[in-house]
Amino acid sequence: MRRFTYHEPDSLTGAIALLEENGAKAKLLAGGTDLIIEIKQEAKTPDHLVSLRSVPGLQDMEYSNRELSFGAMVTHRMIEKSELIREKFSLLSDAVDNLGSVQVRNVATIGGNLCSAAPSADTAAPVMALQATLVVKGPAGERRIPIEDFFKGPGKTALEPAEILCCISIPALPEGAASCYIKHARRKAMDLPLLGIAVIIVPDDNIVCREARIALTLAGPIPFRATKAEAFVTGKPLSRQIWEQAGEIAVSESNPRTSFRTTAEYRKKMICALIPRAAEVALQRINRAWMKG
Amino acid sequence: MAKVFEPTIKAMEFINIGKRVPKLDAWDKVQGKTMYIHDVKLPRMLHGKILWSKYPHARIVSIDTSKAEQLPGVRAVITGYNTPEIRCGFIKDNPVLKKDKVRQYRDEVAAVAADTLEIAEKAVKLIDVAYEELPAVFDPEEAMQEGAPLIHEDKGSNVLKLPWKMICGDVEEGRKQADYIVEETFRLPFVTHCCLGTSGCVAQFDAKGNLTVYSPTQIRFLAHKDFQEAMKALGLKDKTVKVIQTAIGGGFGSKLDTYPFEFITIMLAYYSGRAVKLVYTREEEFFASPGRQPVRAKISQGCTREGKLTFRDIEMILDNGAYTSWGATTPSVMMMPISSLYQVPNIRYVAKCVHTNNIYSTAMRGYGNPQATFAIESQIDTLAEKAGFDPWQFRMINRNRPGEVTPQKFEITSCGMKECLEAVKEKLQWDEKRGKSNGRGVGIASLIHVGGGARIYKSDGCGTILKLDDFGKASLLSSASDMGQGSDTILAMIVAEELGLNVEDVTVIMKDTDLEIWDAGAHASRSTFVAGNSALYAARKAKEEILEFAATMLKEPKENLYLRDRKVFSCNNPEATMDIDKLLRAAHFRTNGRQIVVSEFYDPPTVMLDREMKGNFSAAYTYGVHGVEVEVDQETGQIKILKYIIAMDVGRALNPMAVEGQLEGGGAMGLGYSLMEELHLEKGKLLNGNFLDYKILTFPDMPNIDSVIVETIDEKGPFGAKGIGEPPLVGSAPAIANAVWDAVGVRIRSLPITPEKIVAALEEKQRSNS
Repeated sequence: MRRFTYHEPDSLTGAIALLEENGAKAKLLAGGTDLIIEIKQEAKTPDHLVSLRSVPGLQDMEYSNRELSFGAMVTHRMIEKSELIREKFSLLSDAVDNLGSVQVRNVATIGGNLCSAAPSADTAAPVMALQATLVVKGPAGERRIPIEDFFKGPGKTALEPAEILCCISIPALPEGAASCYIKHARRKAMDLPLLGIAVIIVPDDNIVCREARIALTLAGPIPFRATKAEAFVTGKPLSRQIWEQAGEIAVSESNPRTSFRTTAEYRKKMICALIPRAAEVALQRINRAWMKG
Repeated sequence: MAKVFEPTIKAMEFINIGKRVPKLDAWDKVQGKTMYIHDVKLPRMLHGKILWSKYPHARIVSIDTSKAEQLPGVRAVITGYNTPEIRCGFIKDNPVLKKDKVRQYRDEVAAVAADTLEIAEKAVKLIDVAYEELPAVFDPEEAMQEGAPLIHEDKGSNVLKLPWKMICGDVEEGRKQADYIVEETFRLPFVTHCCLGTSGCVAQFDAKGNLTVYSPTQIRFLAHKDFQEAMKALGLKDKTVKVIQTAIGGGFGSKLDTYPFEFITIMLAYYSGRAVKLVYTREEEFFASPGRQPVRAKISQGCTREGKLTFRDIEMILDNGAYTSWGATTPSVMMMPISSLYQVPNIRYVAKCVHTNNIYSTAMRGYGNPQATFAIESQIDTLAEKAGFDPWQFRMINRNRPGEVTPQKFEITSCGMKECLEAVKEKLQWDEKRGKSNGRGVGIASLIHVGGGARIYKSDGCGTILKLDDFGKASLLSSASDMGQGSDTILAMIVAEELGLNVEDVTVIMKDTDLEIWDAGAHASRSTFVAGNSALYAARKAKEEILEFAATMLKEPKENLYLRDRKVFSCNNPEATMDIDKLLRAAHFRTNGRQIVVSEFYDPPTVMLDREMKGNFSAAYTYGVHGVEVEVDQETGQIKILKYIIAMDVGRALNPMAVEGQLEGGGAMGLGYSLMEELHLEKGKLLNGNFLDYKILTFPDMPNIDSVIVETIDEKGPFGAKGIGEPPLVGSAPAIANAVWDAVGVRIRSLPITPEKIVAALEEKQRSNS
């Protein structure tokens, strides 16, 4: 394995300075579950690793003023174990429950998952549907990036050189909202999704859909919101038929690829099949069922 | 105390046999104390690394090793041009270092030995190879066509000259007799063993030029022969070779042959004058290890109105890849289910193994049987349905019976096929669950495998040396190989049973070709039967000697004496007893005394297949039935296994815990083959050589396996046992395919049975219905 210098700064400004100093030769290390493998495979060849392990505050999690915010170094296991998240943002729990293995979840961080920007990132679709804001700090100070502006391509994000994602901030869902994320994968563990589907539904009292958010991963090169499908179901009754149509609309918004893992055709079929299913599971969670007809 | 002396019947009861004994090395393994090849470290040992080909088919124009040679710490750089030629594979078509041309992506072009692994890795990258790409062929049917690029020009054809043809009875006559005939084509993928321990070896020459190879091989005596032959090429014809077998981190057939990397390590050791270790990375294990051969099988079978099979006709094409290892011989084992699974009077089987520029193939658990049985057993359901029979009933009608001689001249001794079918039917609730077409379905598949060795070589023997020390402990030098299947434990149990010892009193050693007698290797599910009988007969010899001496000591007739609880007893005289260790000391420490050491070479009473590929090549045959209940998600195509039953006729379960281990492990491997495993090659290059993309089942994916042990007490097996190492994976795929058919009415004729295939088949079905 290639040799590198390991840095463990104890402040964010220290980390930013190290990144600035070493430029492209440096890589930021969070959980390392992707990066270390890439280094071993020599897909990445950094001379410097800047670990965020000793930067204080990056593992904090807080819910106040109807806003959930957590540091970029929060592990998937911490999210998995959070009762609050399971209750109020259940789709996020769905996304981490089957990610890798317990061993992976113990070290892999949500910040790493988002910043690696793998098309298959499990937390991407839920965080998109949750309309998160990403707080980043760099040499030029702090800025806030809406999640829909964050992913720029496979492995590419809106982060500028030496910028570090510090915090993910998620507004509370409207009262009575239901949510679900389906990771469609071949295996139940140690697998990447073939398709990720996040659905948030806000029903009104008459079981009409007041608001819907549908976010997809692996349905295109980057995670995206199926806005046409969302618009279609908004204001309509919560029936299976309507959501099946939403699935078809979402397919028209998608651009999945064929690889040895699966075909574009199968992914499209699964968008159709799983959007209504995700909606159905979400509704079941608030003890609702499809309206007839 | 009186109880012990109650009569001979008591003495006949088993003390160890049939008990649940955890594998003897289990604790060492989980505590990290076991010595695998990865742990071997010798003084001044170097590390070897291979440079692999970058093309699937190319002429080697030049190899420049000068930069690598100049790198400090590099001790040897070898290529096909600066070493004598050594070839491996049973038809010797695989030069261990390629000269002139490469024929697959993983071809060995050069190798380096260096002070550290890092230096070796760096040095390999400094070797410049100039290639001239050649047209390549990756599809065996294309490779058979006129004008296709020749993989081995000297052979004149890509089709291997192997005698894979078997005719029994008259297939045309069988067709005429049939009232119903089904013809289909099945396709089986390229898969690999996924051993937890990657391949590797350590080689060292002593000052006199004698070679020691440390290897996790399954065949240390055959490897010994191969390495001895290689010594000739190095000009060391008169020197000796010793193979020391380290703990095997999984074999499954992958370590049944010798491979280029082993000879390369030997040459690196020879030219550097140092010990050299070469161990594959996981990536190398995936792309450089040969796997199970892909098969296309065209099969037709027919039956009468009464449901009796009249013929079976199979043509196969096997993708052999670029070189020949045992993969090319698997049709000889496919003949077994083809000729002898069910009573079929008329059989025709022809198989062609074809060279391509793909990665080559070797032995893998089941040795062709999983491919052949998938085709046969999938079609049995289709044929049964066409003829109007319940598939279970159809199997009962055509099942094999004890005492029959099959068309391939196999002499069936014990046969528990009926009992297995009945057990699976009951456990699966076949009658209640079948035929609902509601997304849930049940399926079954039967299987046959050799269970009493297999005479592939002129000797199918196995040696044992048994030594009893002064403390009543036994050292068992068995020539068998334990690769996790549990023969260490079984052999200790057999010896302990026979000598009235505890299992812990027996130390099993399977290690060193210098110390042990010959053995044909751990293949063909033969260890329990062949090594078991060898150990049993050795123990009987030792027992004879013990009792003979005890008779003089106790002044009792020898016939009345028996061994139990580390003592010798007399049936008639409760006073006449003696501790075994005391007895052994008394036998040793006297004038003309000695320690008891016996040896045995057991070779089962079998024959090799004749020119027509017929003959009783195994002393016993193992039968089994797999039964599954599945739920198919008709939108996503995902299969959920609700129930999985494996019933196996094992003769006698010497250690039921080990039998269950085999059934569960085989079931897991069979499910992986059925549902998700496949090596994806694109123009000969492996795309998914890692555990993320080459999918084996994880624990959450693994259903409970309901193991049903059927005992038929085989007349020739040790205590009645038959081998069951391979067969537990043979029936998985057809049972699942049959259950999917029962659940949703689509027939998947290729593996793995992926959600994509099910969704596509359901759509196709819908289109043809409307």
